[in-house]
Amino acid sequence: MEEGSGNRNGTNGATAATGFAQNGLSRRLTDDEFERYSRQMIVPGMGKEGQLRLINSRVLIIGAGGLGCPAAQYIAGAGVGTIGIVDGDVVEVSNLHRQVGHATSRIGMKKVDSLIQHLRGLNDLPAYISHPFHLTPHNAADIISQYDLVMDCTDNPATRYLISDVCVLLCKPLVSAASVQKSGQLIVLNCPPVPQGLVDGKYAPCYRCCFKKPPPPGSMVSCGEAGIMGPVVGMMGVAQAGEAIKILASALHVQSENNESTPERNLLQPTLLIYTYDLESAVGPYSFRALKMGGRRKNCFACGENSTLTLEGIRAGNPNYEQFCSVPTPNHSLPPEERITAAAYHAAKVRGELPEHILIDTREKEHFSFGSIEGAVNVPFGKLLMKAAAIKRDGGSASEILPPEACKPDTPIFVVCRRGLDSQETVEKLKELGLDYGGKRKIMDIKGGMKAWKEEVDPTFPYI
Amino acid sequence: MTPKPPKGHFNILYFASAGSYTSKNVEALPAPLPLRKLFATLEERYKDIRASVLDHSLVTINLTYVDVPEDEAAGEADEIVIQEGDEVAIIPPVSSG
Repeated sequence: MEEGSGNRNGTNGATAATGFAQNGLSRRLTDDEFERYSRQMIVPGMGKEGQLRLINSRVLIIGAGGLGCPAAQYIAGAGVGTIGIVDGDVVEVSNLHRQVGHATSRIGMKKVDSLIQHLRGLNDLPAYISHPFHLTPHNAADIISQYDLVMDCTDNPATRYLISDVCVLLCKPLVSAASVQKSGQLIVLNCPPVPQGLVDGKYAPCYRCCFKKPPPPGSMVSCGEAGIMGPVVGMMGVAQAGEAIKILASALHVQSENNESTPERNLLQPTLLIYTYDLESAVGPYSFRALKMGGRRKNCFACGENSTLTLEGIRAGNPNYEQFCSVPTPNHSLPPEERITAAAYHAAKVRGELPEHILIDTREKEHFSFGSIEGAVNVPFGKLLMKAAAIKRDGGSASEILPPEACKPDTPIFVVCRRGLDSQETVEKLKELGLDYGGKRKIMDIKGGMKAWKEEVDPTFPYI
Repeated sequence: MTPKPPKGHFNILYFASAGSYTSKNVEALPAPLPLRKLFATLEERYKDIRASVLDHSLVTINLTYVDVPEDEAAGEADEIVIQEGDEVAIIPPVSSG
């Protein structure tokens, strides 16, 4: 598609062919564009045509956090012409170790405004559109319809399903990444886009084709609120930008007229990229895995042949994303006689009214390392569950699950965790294993965990 | 690289929350094992892992996605069987960012 011999004196593309005038692929680059994008335009496969496609594209980045910041930097740097950003949050100091588009001086500012300010500094040529609120079933279609490609940089399952469903209905390609603690995932969905219901052929999957069911909100990671390493989420955001640029520069986001798969379009094997980073084995290899995924599922709720999903329905609250993603968790509510508030525990201890007892803190050891109630013994919840399962499976003495200090069968046990859920489950597990000796030994939960301890007893406690 | 599984075994990799649930990144399990029995085998080793992790996870064999049959009892002639030396992975969705 190169016409003429572009040179930096402003004659590049001056003899433009006329055939591409309608879609803006024939115009000449400005001197600023030519200079700015020169290093990426000379990469094989990009060229002037690819660059003009980027300049004529509109990308929506949903989420201006750990994924959205690095993704947006490269999308802006590459010269995508219109960049929309959706986020309702404000910048907090605990964001800054990974959210590289914000700054210490902008704490308290809307994330969208902070990120756009950063991006303008990188490249002031694109048009930046601010959507300073959260994406909801009510506003999703109106926003997404204004763009050519969507990048899911959000942090919760309900929004992920919503974004995917709307992208299916509006035929928008979706580049979806996610990251928590030490792992990251990346997948390109709905690309090339084809209308909902087409199943006779090999078409790209949507998010629901890959992940039919959301994870239960009360699963293991919840009480630990896992944490995240900056480079892990950063790597995923950068890779996400790479995929988006590839799609736009090669016009894969444009729906073909008859939804045919041309040979080039067939090359896309749906792939889930997984990145795992292990802090505990510093010498171990970091690892990327590329997993071959299936295509569109015939019976997919969103894109399959009998799908009843519609934009009107979504706007009116059907399906209900919040409900779908909040499968009822087992209701841990121990009877009142097995619970004590943090304040009452503290008061009784100070007054010397507590018998000799053992206090088990079930937080992960990283949390425990910042501080604990005096005398607490750390037995991380995950390890405790594992041991309980092993004892049930292989037999063995139930008391092995307890720290040695608790081997006397009449020593009462108190359990505390981070926010008060794991501790209740621990009390139940210990009783299941018979460690309450039919009620002879008291096993009590400290209500509300260390969060409550900070609120009720010690406001200086270093709670994370 | 993951160590090669011992003779008569396959490797199973646990990603994200599957890793925290089992406190392992990888282990070797006896092969061959029909795919339909995989979840029951894991449930035996890790109580409640099915509801907490497996039911919403992807499963791959040798880096390729597979559909785990819902029915554990019926073994059809063309059913997928995990073979010695295979690499199986349990991949829960990650949703933070």
